[in-house]
Amino acid sequence: MALRKKKRIKPSIPTASMGDVAFLILIFFLTSTIFTRDRGLKMLLPERTEEQEKVKVKPENIVTVAINPAGEAKIKAVGFDLILGPAEFSEIKRVVEEKLLERDTLLVISLRTSKDAPYRSMVEALDQIKLSRVTSADGRELRATKISLIPTSEE
Amino acid sequence: MRKSIIRRYKEPAEIPTASTADIAFLLILFFMVTTVFRTTTLRLKIQLPQAKSTERILIRRNINHILVDVNSKIYIDDHVVSIERIGGLVAQKVWDNPDLNTVLKVDESVSYGVVDQILDKLKEAKAFRITFASEQRR
Repeated sequence: MALRKKKRIKPSIPTASMGDVAFLILIFFLTSTIFTRDRGLKMLLPERTEEQEKVKVKPENIVTVAINPAGEAKIKAVGFDLILGPAEFSEIKRVVEEKLLERDTLLVISLRTSKDAPYRSMVEALDQIKLSRVTSADGRELRATKISLIPTSEE
Repeated sequence: MRKSIIRRYKEPAEIPTASTADIAFLLILFFMVTTVFRTTTLRLKIQLPQAKSTERILIRRNINHILVDVNSKIYIDDHVVSIERIGGLVAQKVWDNPDLNTVLKVDESVSYGVVDQILDKLKEAKAFRITFASEQRR
């Protein structure tokens, strides 16, 4: 009789905490999920003044990148005068980096975009300018920080 | 006979809990499947330009979106807005939150003239902090 009873005990895994485990996992994923954040190129616009005050910048400190309606770019700086097709925008980075080494923090980049040019070209040029960074002789990291966005119109 | 009566009393009452997890997951799946995210933006087809130097905007509560679709229509807060009205609308937002970051989500084929006009209005509204929304290029 006693022997028989011992055999009758059923083995079982406790499942009461399954729900808790499930919620734990749920809460973990809820807190660790990041929704698609906004991404983009940051810019700080200049203050707008009533009368357009003119800031004098020496021509050797300026790199002008002009974009025409066809999406082609033209780089003008002292020592450079290049015309780039839509696929050659990486050249902008090279020129800006070279000028950065030469001119350090004085460098101003003037991005002149035609009003009829596609926005894509302007962002691509801005991207190249933002990408350019070099380390100076004394170990500082130089970047193009002074960028001015200028609209142009062909008439 | 007597023995069996005593046994009946000893049995503890129990609710089966093994299926709680299944029910929980079923509910989660149900809500996951039935949830519909905002579909209004889907109707706007905006192909953002690509850029390698794309940065993430970390602080989300200061963001103000301005959307411009392929047809150069401008949207602020899900409303179509004319260029003249941007200044006033954004100025109000800047007044409420001086740290406002305006994210310009502009379709890549829009002509730059439209973007320039918006930038001009933003300067007027003193919304100087802007971001040109772009997609990461690898």
